[in-house]
Amino acid sequence: MKLILALIRKEFIHLRRDPRLLGFIIVMPIILTTLFGIALKLEPDNVKMAYVDKDPSFFSNLIKTNIWSEGYFDLYEVADVEDIRNEIRLGHARAGLYIPKDFSAELIENNQPSVFLYIDGTMPSLATAMDNNSSAITDEAVTTDMYFSDPDGPAIVIAQDPFNLEVETLFNPDKIETWFFLPGVVGILIMQVALILTSTTVVREREGNTLEQLLVSPMMRSQFIIGKIIPYVIISLIDFYAILGFSWMVFDLPEPNSHAVLFLLAVTYLAALISMGLAISTISQTQQQAIFISIFVLIPSILLSGFIFPVEAMPSYIQPVAYIIPFTYFVEIIRGILLKGNDLIELMPYFLALCAFAVFFTVFSIFRFRKTLS
Amino acid sequence: MTVTIETQNLTRIFGDFVAVDKLNLSINSGEIFGLLGPNAAGKSTTIRLLAGILRPNSGEASILGFNLFTQTELIKQRIGYVAQQFSLYPDLTVFENIMFYAGLYGVDNQNRLHELLDLYDLIQFKNKNAGLLSGGYKRRLAIACATTHDPELLFLDEPTAGIDPVTRKELWDLFYSLSTNGKTLFVTTHYMEEAERCNRLAFLSHGKLVAQGTPIEIRGSLKDRRIYSSDIPHDPVLTTALMKSPGIQLVNQFGSELRIITDTSVSPEQLQYLIAENYKIPFKLQAVTPSIEDAFILLTSNGEKQ
Repeated sequence: MKLILALIRKEFIHLRRDPRLLGFIIVMPIILTTLFGIALKLEPDNVKMAYVDKDPSFFSNLIKTNIWSEGYFDLYEVADVEDIRNEIRLGHARAGLYIPKDFSAELIENNQPSVFLYIDGTMPSLATAMDNNSSAITDEAVTTDMYFSDPDGPAIVIAQDPFNLEVETLFNPDKIETWFFLPGVVGILIMQVALILTSTTVVREREGNTLEQLLVSPMMRSQFIIGKIIPYVIISLIDFYAILGFSWMVFDLPEPNSHAVLFLLAVTYLAALISMGLAISTISQTQQQAIFISIFVLIPSILLSGFIFPVEAMPSYIQPVAYIIPFTYFVEIIRGILLKGNDLIELMPYFLALCAFAVFFTVFSIFRFRKTLS
Repeated sequence: MTVTIETQNLTRIFGDFVAVDKLNLSINSGEIFGLLGPNAAGKSTTIRLLAGILRPNSGEASILGFNLFTQTELIKQRIGYVAQQFSLYPDLTVFENIMFYAGLYGVDNQNRLHELLDLYDLIQFKNKNAGLLSGGYKRRLAIACATTHDPELLFLDEPTAGIDPVTRKELWDLFYSLSTNGKTLFVTTHYMEEAERCNRLAFLSHGKLVAQGTPIEIRGSLKDRRIYSSDIPHDPVLTTALMKSPGIQLVNQFGSELRIITDTSVSPEQLQYLIAENYKIPFKLQAVTPSIEDAFILLTSNGEKQ
């Protein structure tokens, strides 16, 4: 028993001697709990919806204002149906609403006109939420109101189901479950590999005393950092294609229109991740700390990136967190390339964001990496 | 003779601890220069300052004719450094380690790499993981890795610490062969017998230089003192009594030998009498020539009684 006590005491001493680690253990979960507690909910709100209202009327307004519960959608107007598809394709909108011409006239005639709803089939939480709620647009709130007539028009009586709702799921029409998550999962797996591999690499040289031997050599710090980035980009690129290739073969994930574009964007994403891993390594004192910081980055990357919940559905003060996560951009890229058929021009903003990450973290690592001991 | 290393008032402070205090060193080219001092005297800090991987708080230094602070990169091409701890990649083989360090210095001559394997007797372990080598061979490998670019100046931080005497002699043979090839070696050690092997040496105590010169000059610094050896085993009463007496500077026990250093105010007869007063067993006492160790202990204890 005394022996075990001695061991227990020693472990607590180790922890106390590493106050940074102690900080990670206590502060990190609190930050993440706060973040997720605020940001995560299954019911999205403020989801961007592009609409075309060819029949601006009392009835179309009724639909626009009542479409699901208040605040669920953030509506903005576009010119035509094609624009709706395009806005969703570019990721500007996650859903679309088309109210055709003569809607109110048909409604008054009791001809059960159709209203068209478009959904981004690459957003898992949205598509399933739509599934569960697609009848809600004709819910009592709307239909009951429709029994009352337009106060400016003649009195009318409207049938039980006044209109049809035609839902079209874009880019994943059959709502294949694996298509929702698999492209993003590829990005997550590779992020995990890249971060854990590289975040320990500089600090390992420090712990193993080899850093000192490197520092006396004529090597420049930029050479050191670039010499660390390139091999890990190559390794994780091979890994990326292994995972993706497996997904293509086993899960019938769609292939991109252009493999060259996918390759370019994958390399950029990996360069961003690996330079981020190196930046973590240069600020860590031990490998243990490096791994903790990596996990601290990984978990919010998965949950806040738009991989599960649309970023715009999060509270506005949490959204900046999403935009400093490289995966937020890559999840749009990989869904865009594999499912929506986006080309490089369309993905340019995301590509540039990843380039900015890669440059920022590389420069940060170079400056952070000291050529002298302290 | 040209000067390879010259420092003026080199100082390095960690927090409120002065690790190296206004150090003035001068090392000639082609010599094996030994830096001696007790643990925490500032030997490793000095070597790191001179190798350019630690910045001093103040002072000047020139290495191989270059300014240490403005021409660091030029110096790095021309020096080698072997750290105190094993600082190679344990999961790489002997040859892979050598190849890696050669790459860092832009050495791509395969003959040079095999020459190093030969010189350091590492051929037999060429494909063995470096982490699996014995202590002596790890040092050999570390030196091989630090000299791929054939540096003019080699810093060795405690190269023989924890190494058995036979291997230590072999390492010193290597140092001599490097030295005869015109290389300058800067070695730290706390083994006294190794001090005698150096061409010149310096003593460091609490970051301060307390002596610098050839082994003969260092021993000569004790010329105004008298050194005695006697066959008395450890006797705490006697030691305490001696240290209380005026004129006695150091009492040092070596197994069954007691070494006593006095100043010239104490005559041999007085010492004889002083011992006999406190030690009732017959003993021998004879004046001896000072050893480096006598000088080392006396100088690093700041001339105070121990």
